[in-house]
Amino acid sequence: MNRRELLLAGVSAAAAGSLAYPGTSRAQAPKEVTIGVIYPMSGASAQVGIDARNAFETALDIINNDHQLDLVAAKGAGLAALGGAKIRLVFADHQADPQKGRAEAERLITQEKVSAIIGCYQSSVSATVSAVTERYGVPFLCADSSSPSLQRRNMKFFFRPAAQDEMFSAAMFDFFDAQKKKGKKIDSVGLFFEDTIFGVDSSNTQRKLANDRGYKIAADVKYRTNSPSLTAEVQQLKSADPDVLMPSTYTTDAMLLVKTMAELGFKPKNLVAQASGFSEQVTYDAVGDKLKGAITRASFSLDLAAKRPFIKTVNDMFKARSTRDLNDNTSRQFMGLLLLAEAINRAGSLEGPKVRDALAATDIPGTSTIMPWARVKYGPDGQNPEASPVLLQYLGDKFVTIFPSEVAIADAIWPMNG
Amino acid sequence: MTDEALNLPPAFGMLPRRRNQLLVAAAVFAAIAVSPFAIKDVYLQNVLVLTLLYAAVSQSWNILGGYCGQISLGHALYFGIGAYATSVLFVTYGIVPWGGMLVGGILSAAIALLLGYPCFRLKGHYFSIATIVIAEIGLLLVHNWDFVGGALGIQWPFGSDSWATLQFARDKVPYIHLALALLAITWFVTFLIEGSRWGYWWRAVKDNPEAAESLGVEIFHSKMAAAAVSAFFTAIGGAFYASFLAYIDPESVMSFRFSLLFALPAVLGGIGTLWGPVVGAAILIPLTEITRSYLGGSGSGIDLIIYGGLIMLVALAKPEGILSLFQGKRQKAEGRS
Amino acid sequence: MTTQALLQVLASGLLMGLIYALIAVGLSLIFGLMDVVNFAHGEFLMTAMYVVFGLFLFTALDPVLFAPVAAAVLFCVGALAYLGIVRFAMRAKANQGMVQIFATFGLATLLQGAAQYFLTPDYRSIGNSWLGGKTLDLGGVFLPWPQMFGGLVSIAAFGGLYLLMSRTDFGKALEATREDQGAVALVGIDRNRVFALGWGLGAALVGLAGAVLAIFYYIHPQVGATFGLIAYVTVALGGFGSVFGALVAGVIVGLVEALTAAFLPPAMKSLGIFALYLGVVFIRPSGLFGKL
Repeated sequence: MNRRELLLAGVSAAAAGSLAYPGTSRAQAPKEVTIGVIYPMSGASAQVGIDARNAFETALDIINNDHQLDLVAAKGAGLAALGGAKIRLVFADHQADPQKGRAEAERLITQEKVSAIIGCYQSSVSATVSAVTERYGVPFLCADSSSPSLQRRNMKFFFRPAAQDEMFSAAMFDFFDAQKKKGKKIDSVGLFFEDTIFGVDSSNTQRKLANDRGYKIAADVKYRTNSPSLTAEVQQLKSADPDVLMPSTYTTDAMLLVKTMAELGFKPKNLVAQASGFSEQVTYDAVGDKLKGAITRASFSLDLAAKRPFIKTVNDMFKARSTRDLNDNTSRQFMGLLLLAEAINRAGSLEGPKVRDALAATDIPGTSTIMPWARVKYGPDGQNPEASPVLLQYLGDKFVTIFPSEVAIADAIWPMNG
Repeated sequence: MTDEALNLPPAFGMLPRRRNQLLVAAAVFAAIAVSPFAIKDVYLQNVLVLTLLYAAVSQSWNILGGYCGQISLGHALYFGIGAYATSVLFVTYGIVPWGGMLVGGILSAAIALLLGYPCFRLKGHYFSIATIVIAEIGLLLVHNWDFVGGALGIQWPFGSDSWATLQFARDKVPYIHLALALLAITWFVTFLIEGSRWGYWWRAVKDNPEAAESLGVEIFHSKMAAAAVSAFFTAIGGAFYASFLAYIDPESVMSFRFSLLFALPAVLGGIGTLWGPVVGAAILIPLTEITRSYLGGSGSGIDLIIYGGLIMLVALAKPEGILSLFQGKRQKAEGRS
Repeated sequence: MTTQALLQVLASGLLMGLIYALIAVGLSLIFGLMDVVNFAHGEFLMTAMYVVFGLFLFTALDPVLFAPVAAAVLFCVGALAYLGIVRFAMRAKANQGMVQIFATFGLATLLQGAAQYFLTPDYRSIGNSWLGGKTLDLGGVFLPWPQMFGGLVSIAAFGGLYLLMSRTDFGKALEATREDQGAVALVGIDRNRVFALGWGLGAALVGLAGAVLAIFYYIHPQVGATFGLIAYVTVALGGFGSVFGALVAGVIVGLVEALTAAFLPPAMKSLGIFALYLGVVFIRPSGLFGKL
């Protein structure tokens, strides 16, 4: 679908939506479940929103049509407990602004009568959106914001099936410990992170883990996001030359970082990234030749398709829409919507509090998801503690899972640049 | 028919035109105050709050930028100071936002005075760029200052609805009335300034730059005072925004975008006029919100095209601001009578 | 910090500074000619980067060859922006500066939206080129060829601009119009034509900068914002309207930025540039080389 068609589809969907509501016809029509989707659709991270849209529409296809996959919410068309009701998505743009995110959440709840909201990528926006959903008693499924602080506000309507930064970073250090036991040299780490809530949260966790587990922090570089150049920053990393470079950066800066490292002749011994920019295909399209052996944490791995064939089916469906493979973000978005649909179906109701109770009672084995998770079962804070993250290594043409050992299909190439 | 014609003494020494403006303002603000009875939709109420807030802050900007002709593109600094002072005092020290509002306002006014001395020596674009640069310095410092949360920002705790803490979970009506009160006050302050000595001096300087020479010192002092007043009310707006949103981070209250957004309504409506910022905000903010809400979800960028195109169109078609449409008609009407 | 590291910081700062200068000079030229600050300057840069990227995709020729094409396309964009927009904004009786700022700000928003609409908000970059990824190693100080090419283009552009301004009739017409807009009409110079050409020239220069940047930087509808603010500060630092000032200020900004990042936390590296600007204008209110 090109841009123009997308727009036309959006306009006609809006028109159809407004026509479908004249009071009389609504009772006869099969019931519809509306879910709000709030993402950055314009501005610097607009591509994230567009990819998310493709992920959600893939999930919508799986839910609303009958698919014989051993995947949550796939079998049967629509939601069986609601008489086969279809899910309708309403997309909204928050432009990475917490105020706009909140306004959209209020609009979706009061005007569109959504049964749940899913979002929002930027943690700062998820913070204000989840405050609104809490106040209106509508569940918020936090698909891909990974800031740990989000779950610490005693919220009853907040649910996060995927891992947060503490879990991701802990996995990295577990991996380091394991490599160390094998006799590999890892004494020092270098933190490189952007001055946003994502970068700062991520680095705080990593700094604490490094201190607790006895790794020396050779470099601790916070940089201004979207800088024209990163030369001086890379120069500092080069002088420190840590055993592992740990970047927490979005796509633009990830590309610039890798280019600048190559320009200054700095080959990090190892690179273990907090996903984000390092899980985006465009980064590897642009600078992949310099990233052979780079490791990134992830929520998702295509390797799993060997054990669960439906993952390939889902990936092909997504690829048909977006021309790229599912990645760390899009897999979480896709899975988030399926889990939401499953809970709404179990609730047998469109009302927020009932959907909330159903979500809280969720207990799904990881094998019926596309993720490497052990299971989906939310704690009292709404966080799924069993969302085991994985580490992937880039081999020049594809990613392979290297950690944890239960799901790994290859040993890590370590060091990456000898 | 005028008062003079009837041989009546002008009320409180006020010209009839100014008295009429007060009456119009009272009517407009009263209508807005009761509007929540008609507008029940939360989304529209949210748009109304933002419109009133931007009108008020733009009105504050207008005192310095419009009447004084000092084009500041760094008012996000004062907005941020208000937002941060209020949030830090409330979240860290438990001082109700009303206190933070005042502290933020006074702090901003003091900083504006401090910056005024060197900055008012600069002319035209050098002044504007200096204001941008100073606001950017403020943004960088807040970004890297852990005491105020740094990049993580400040989250206000959930609490029950209360006028003391200015927290209302679902109800937008109190925010409408607060923002309206702020707008009414900034409007009235502008009204007073317009009729004061400062107002006459500034107009004189605009019409006849040589007059500035003879008024030199007074002009400088009046500009300093205007900067302080303007910064004070902008900070109050920021404090309001922080309590309204209950979450702030550096980019969401201090980015350059805000500085432009404060100037834009005044420019679109009519810069250096009493009603310009109000008219500008009444058109601009609903337009921004509605294009984003109903077109932005597609991710096509069409909302930006429409938004940018309309700003350009207004700037080109009515360079003196939308208000000049009405003024043209009124002047004609007055000319005929 | 070792000497080598210091030299590296200085060399990188210098190369980046030359590119800043090239981005800024077009803005300065337009300002000098007619007292207008173009807020869409960053978006002109973005447009040029997309032009080069598009040509690279369709012709598979090396992006280095497209610099003149980008300059030519941007010349047209600039001239059209004047004829279609700025000319009308200049009719404002009061607060002309503000009206121009917002007319061009509207144009900037529109260009960003158009880029997203037609080209998607995806991040692009040019992978293989003659210069891409190649680096000159001078005893441990690394000089990337794309940036060196950028520096050379910048120096050549300033040289060419100097000749154009001092030796040609067009240059003299520009200079005369800048000195006295009313008088030139009397000697038969069409003011509108000179302004349109001036805008074209200013945009062409930023087109060159965009072409150079496209070789080693990512391309994105919002990329203009990254360079926009630095361009304004550079122009003001050098003195609005001064071509030579833009060159000197660009280099200084590049060096100061790199040095600040070496001695302060890199997240605050812009502080150096900002403090420098304020320091200069508080002493010299019209920048280093401004007339005012």
